[in-house]
Amino acid sequence: MAERSFKKEVLKLKAGEGDIFRGEGILAITKGLLQSGVAYVGGYQGSPISHLMDVLNDAQDILEDLGVHFEASGSEATAAAMLSASINYPLRGAVTWKSTVGTNVASDALSNLASSGVTGGAMVIVGEDYGEGSSIMQERTYAFAMKAQMWLLDPRPNLPSIVDMIEKGFQLSEASNTPIFYMMRIRGCHVTGEFEASDNLRPDFSALNPVTPNREPEKIILPPHVYEQEREKIRDRWPAAIQFIEENKLNELFPGKHDQLGIITCGGTYNTVVRALERLGLADCFGNTDIPIYVMNVAYPVVPSEVIDFCATKQHVLLLEEGQPSYIEPEIHALLRKKDIQTRIYGKDIFPQTGEYTGQVTLLGLSRFIEKTGLSASVLLQTNDINALHSPLDDQEHETLLENVPPRPSGLCTGCPERPLFSAIKQVQEDFGPLHISSDIGCHSFATLAPFNLGNTIMGYGLSLASSSSIRAALPHKSISIMGDGGFWHNGLTSGVVSSVFNKHDGILIVINNGYAAATGGQDIPSHLQPNLIATTMDAERSERDQSQSIENACRGAGVEWIRILSTYGIEDMKSTLAEALQSDLPGLKVIIAEGECMLNRQRRIKPLMNKAVADGKRTERARFYVDSQTCTGDHACIRLSGCPSLTIKDNPDPLRLDPVSYVDNSCVGCGVCGDNVHSAVLCPSFSRITLVYNPTWLDKALSQVRQGIIHYFQRSDMRKKQARSL
Amino acid sequence: MSKNDNQSNIPSKPRTINIVTAALGGEGGGVFTSWLIDVAEANGWMSQTTSLAGVAQRTGATIYYIELFPRDQASKQQPVMSLFPAQGDIDIAVSSEIAEAGRMLQRGFITPERTTLISSTHRVFGITEKADLGDGVINSDEILKLGEKYSKSFVRFDMQDLAKRNNSVISSGLLGALAGSGALPFTKESYEQVIRNTGKAVETNLACFNASYNSAIALSANEEDVKVEYFDPAKVSKEFILPRGTTIQGQALLDRLVFKLPKSVHEIAYQGLKKTLDYQDYRYAEQYLDELERFIALDTGANDYELLQTLARYLALWMCFEDISRVAQLKIRDSRMDEIREEVKAMPGQIFHVTEFFKPRVEEMCAMLPASIGSWALDSKFCRATLNLFSGGKKLRTNSLPIYFSLRFLSFLRKFRRSTLGYQHEYGMISSWLSAIETVAKENPATALELARCGRIVKGYGDTRARTSTQLMSIVSLSKTQTLDNSVISELHRAALSGDDNREFETVLKASA
Repeated sequence: MAERSFKKEVLKLKAGEGDIFRGEGILAITKGLLQSGVAYVGGYQGSPISHLMDVLNDAQDILEDLGVHFEASGSEATAAAMLSASINYPLRGAVTWKSTVGTNVASDALSNLASSGVTGGAMVIVGEDYGEGSSIMQERTYAFAMKAQMWLLDPRPNLPSIVDMIEKGFQLSEASNTPIFYMMRIRGCHVTGEFEASDNLRPDFSALNPVTPNREPEKIILPPHVYEQEREKIRDRWPAAIQFIEENKLNELFPGKHDQLGIITCGGTYNTVVRALERLGLADCFGNTDIPIYVMNVAYPVVPSEVIDFCATKQHVLLLEEGQPSYIEPEIHALLRKKDIQTRIYGKDIFPQTGEYTGQVTLLGLSRFIEKTGLSASVLLQTNDINALHSPLDDQEHETLLENVPPRPSGLCTGCPERPLFSAIKQVQEDFGPLHISSDIGCHSFATLAPFNLGNTIMGYGLSLASSSSIRAALPHKSISIMGDGGFWHNGLTSGVVSSVFNKHDGILIVINNGYAAATGGQDIPSHLQPNLIATTMDAERSERDQSQSIENACRGAGVEWIRILSTYGIEDMKSTLAEALQSDLPGLKVIIAEGECMLNRQRRIKPLMNKAVADGKRTERARFYVDSQTCTGDHACIRLSGCPSLTIKDNPDPLRLDPVSYVDNSCVGCGVCGDNVHSAVLCPSFSRITLVYNPTWLDKALSQVRQGIIHYFQRSDMRKKQARSL
Repeated sequence: MSKNDNQSNIPSKPRTINIVTAALGGEGGGVFTSWLIDVAEANGWMSQTTSLAGVAQRTGATIYYIELFPRDQASKQQPVMSLFPAQGDIDIAVSSEIAEAGRMLQRGFITPERTTLISSTHRVFGITEKADLGDGVINSDEILKLGEKYSKSFVRFDMQDLAKRNNSVISSGLLGALAGSGALPFTKESYEQVIRNTGKAVETNLACFNASYNSAIALSANEEDVKVEYFDPAKVSKEFILPRGTTIQGQALLDRLVFKLPKSVHEIAYQGLKKTLDYQDYRYAEQYLDELERFIALDTGANDYELLQTLARYLALWMCFEDISRVAQLKIRDSRMDEIREEVKAMPGQIFHVTEFFKPRVEEMCAMLPASIGSWALDSKFCRATLNLFSGGKKLRTNSLPIYFSLRFLSFLRKFRRSTLGYQHEYGMISSWLSAIETVAKENPATALELARCGRIVKGYGDTRARTSTQLMSIVSLSKTQTLDNSVISELHRAALSGDDNREFETVLKASA
């Protein structure tokens, strides 16, 4: 079960004809899929479409009722391969992932799918992780759409358009036998709004009504069919798509009084353009515009006749194309050139080459365009005004803020099981000298930031071990690769472990087993079990468990012989195991499976249990840590070794000391790392664990009274002595 | 509401009301946003929100953006709402923490003619502030000043404190402040109804909402004519009144303090006396004054006797170095258990256990021995190995009788402190530091002051303690071999506090020698 539950929200998916549906973009997409009669859905989680997977997961009952098959795919490649069901049969299907990383993983299956062509509508909903809030390298899905010939939809980011384009997208896919990318930008995924729903459609074929197996050899991607498939793409599918887009008006034209001017934008950036025009006084808040706008809800392919018709009678046309390289701009230039149309096209010459087209960027770009057209006098804001809007503060004041607004990088959560692991590695590094570490994708990527500063490269999901396979030959120490359980199952087992054993890799692989795909929102993974019994300091030691897909067995099956499984919370054990692995003369890959349940998910799981136990009158203990501000000298070494959000600072109660003391706030979950660090790093005597006892037994009470009585007696006597000896 | 007029942000021409909310991951920005959508809905306004979830939810700073539009104006056509907060286009900016308000100022989201800024004034420290070896905390007054200067109106008070006092969450505080600011054309009742409708923690959330609402109203009423004064510790420092002694010896010490030391040093020296007396005995407190008085003639009196003040502070701290006896003494205090009970929010009478995490090294154990035996033991391989058996990590439950009495015994051993190896080692360093300052002060008061300030470097336990005191000793011995400019010493001071490894300090030290 994922971090965020959509159990309540998914009930909205049952809405029928004429109902008003209110909610988030991803829910609207799901509703659009059901209204289009999809037969199957799948995908792999990752921001910004993690919640789409969560919605589908939580909607399984509704999907089942409709006969829609759902799978949480093992990777994006798995998800892409699902779409093969649409090659031979009129089954509509959709899969989703984070792009461009997911698209890269899926590319083999996608290319083949695009070559074979589809009978039923096939759609890939990509969360384009570009711009502010992104967590990956900055690239565009557009390039893939072009090279494999898949159409790319980029709808206007309001719920009615989003839903409408899902339905039209399936029709387009079927009309042109071509799979489709349906692109959602980060903010679009999380946009909220409303639309008028229609009834959900049952798929024509499902478990209840199976298809008749149908073999179409010409759709298999082997020669000679591939040559014909290539011809078919250009000869049949492309023109069919263009015709469908034109006839069904997938792209939209908003007229305006300044007929000599025009703006071309993709659907995803339309709202920002309208807001900028409104602020310039060239549109109202309903999108009624003075400058005609041509909105490409289909970003690829470009429809030549529409572009030519739009531009032919105009003097100046502005094209907004976010991201680089630009693909639409050169295409429009070529189209006009071939027709010898002299309209001046502006694009990346007045807009930035790179980066997101935010409100400010778009406003500034539009204002530059207005200057070129000679309309400047009639608008509300000039370029200078807009530059000034960037910030009213002067340089001195910006300097002040720079000094007084602390950066807030993302980091590991309170009580995270990965924190003690990285504390251990940091301490091992002190003994062995600087370590080169191949990192991976996941929460553990945060170890590359302060305060741990561990990790040199990140090559992709599950690729850390693979990425150490060359550098290992040139390192002064055994190579170290860190991978999460998510990455292990996604790709790490095959690309990493299997290949390393085969190539006699003798480095170290640390697999962090926290029981969930934690970074993407706590989704289930193959090695997950319910209830989760992974060892932590609060549970009993690692118990025997019946695990259907175990990381250890997978590694053994792949030929790994040196495997150690230990709790991340045992810093001393982890240090000695790491040291042993680093110094071992034994040949072969050394795998350390570092276990500790994701604390976010753990708290979600055990809090209700604990509250219930307390309410039921059972004896229950709850632990948290405490820093003695009397003995803390305020050097904050503990913080530099941990970075836990609950370990913070407060004013020093000692009037003589000026530096703040360390302080544990009440969000502490008592994971024990502070105490372990005290021991392993020889910190200071200021840390204590406070164990609160709920519903004490008679023995607890009796012992406590005896102890307190005796201790109080001596404390009082000490107190009297102290008073006799005071100032 | 004071600066311009009392109008809310209802635009004359139909347009959206734009609200940006800055929050810290998992800090209730999402709850606040969903409440606000419901309030708008109840008042007949449609809304669009966007957020950046992604990795920002993991403890980073995150932004929610909301646009509101009245439904009755959208009967024929739907408004086109933007997904981006844009500079110069924000009506209301809400921040759950004051440094995040600073970030919004930085990003240009606060516009003087248009933006109502609502922020809690409490701090959630960033990692750079927390990890500093000294004091890395930013000055939030600077942000308050700029917020005041660049917002149309600025609603700010400690909403976290209100939330705590009402056993609620900051989301209710933010919502109350927004309602009280009058920046939205919605009734107070409609906000309250939304909180009631959640059916969760209704009473406490309403209490916090109302407290915050009233604070916002009171703030806007006061603002009319009162210019806000910012807290400046230097100006506000209260006149210190020296308490009367409670014992004869105590009064004698206080009399000596009054008689000998300049007035501006009284407060710090009084704290120093209290500390040294608590640490050891009357004689030790006298020793503290003895050391301090050596510098009376040497202080030029500049800056209210800054040299003496600085020495009074760091001398007291160093003289009360934390050896095993001192730690044991502090751990068994009766006041400590009350502090813990308060801090962990234990119910009255609830049983709790306190487990200490100790890891004394052989060095700390030898420091407890008489000097000659201690140094012999440190040098003896056999003794080291034997002591090492006892040096592993200890988890000791202070509220169990054997541990309590063991700690009490260790605390009792402080009677013999003066003869221990540890004391002789530490006091040797103190004397060396003092004599260096004494020598320099005659020639160069500025350098002497800088050298006195270096007392701050010495702190921590174990390796940290060893590193920091060695650093100070290096500065001291450098000052004995050559004349140092005060800027050199302050640079060494900075380098010593720059990180856990000695690297930067060594570099600067080499460059200075």
